[in-house]
Amino acid sequence: MMNTLTIKLWDGFIRSFHWLLVVVLAGLWYTGGDIDYIDLHHQLGLVMLALLLTRIMWGFVGSQSARFSYFLRSPIAVLHYFKAPFKREYVTHNPAGAYMVVIMLVLLLSQAISGLFTDDAIFFRGPLAHLVSNDMVRSLTRYHKQAFDYILLAIALHLVAIFVYTLMKKRLVGPMITGRKDYPEDAQVKQPKQRHGAFGFVLLGINLTWIFGWLG
Amino acid sequence: MRLLTTFSALAVSIGIAALAATSNPVQASAFTQAEDAVKYRQGAFQLIRENFGYMSGMVRGEIDFDGEQFKQRSQALYHLSNIPFDAFSGAGENATDNSDALPAIWQNRSDFNAKAEAFQQAVKELVEAADSENMRTIRPAFMATARTCQQCHEGYRAD
Repeated sequence: MMNTLTIKLWDGFIRSFHWLLVVVLAGLWYTGGDIDYIDLHHQLGLVMLALLLTRIMWGFVGSQSARFSYFLRSPIAVLHYFKAPFKREYVTHNPAGAYMVVIMLVLLLSQAISGLFTDDAIFFRGPLAHLVSNDMVRSLTRYHKQAFDYILLAIALHLVAIFVYTLMKKRLVGPMITGRKDYPEDAQVKQPKQRHGAFGFVLLGINLTWIFGWLG
Repeated sequence: MRLLTTFSALAVSIGIAALAATSNPVQASAFTQAEDAVKYRQGAFQLIRENFGYMSGMVRGEIDFDGEQFKQRSQALYHLSNIPFDAFSGAGENATDNSDALPAIWQNRSDFNAKAEAFQQAVKELVEAADSENMRTIRPAFMATARTCQQCHEGYRAD
């Protein structure tokens, strides 16, 4: 049996962020479109916004494996990657997954921000709806209703990818829980510099505070 | 003097009779232009929305609950609840220009009418609940009314 090399891949903040995202998104999906839960939907949306902003900040100041500059490659690298997707080992997102991260962040952020400008024509008015024209409010409300389908599509793609990797004996879910991943000793991988996840939580706390203070 | 009084009474009677004679057809087709019917509908819904929004502020705790104010708003809503729906017929029939009304309204007219009636019934119950001046009684009636708005918007109002 070959010896393995264990690498700390995902810090505590990244892992918590990922699973909180799942929980909050499920909550948003459940409370969305139901006027009985509109206030809860609003609050959850603000939590989502704080989570996303913190993740983006972490992408600049967090652990190396979480940084955009570390995992974002050129589109050509993605093409190369797809020629032999299971050959190399990565100590962060693979080049295709990296774009998925960006797409997911953009979709979720657009969803959270558009929600602030919505009006349900019954009794809910987003906290920023008064800043733009009624036509803009209508467009953003329409977008907010429709774009959730794109998010579902992105999630479906994400799950299919995980399934395919699992078939290829690449574990993706385990490291997102434990933070650690085993690599073959000859994989020529380097431990990415890690920052303590607690710093991420401090950032999250700050973001939650001003977001709820301003838009709550 | 007496003669003058008689004349004025007569004049008023004739006036009323003339008004009565003409007011029926006028009422039956209150709008000669689709455009006016649309404006009328929109105006009525705007007033409904404003009053409902005010009540929602109290139900959701954004403004302090004032039982008397709430009662007045619910009564205003009650009077308004019948207003817009006339303007979906006559000149307002199939009028969708500059309007969020979807053609489905006239394709499923009886369903649309049933939903309008459900709204009116819910508002009636809201007025009764408002008499209690008790938020515990009011809240479910208010939410039930909001649901009737949503149920009709879905499919009949453009997103």
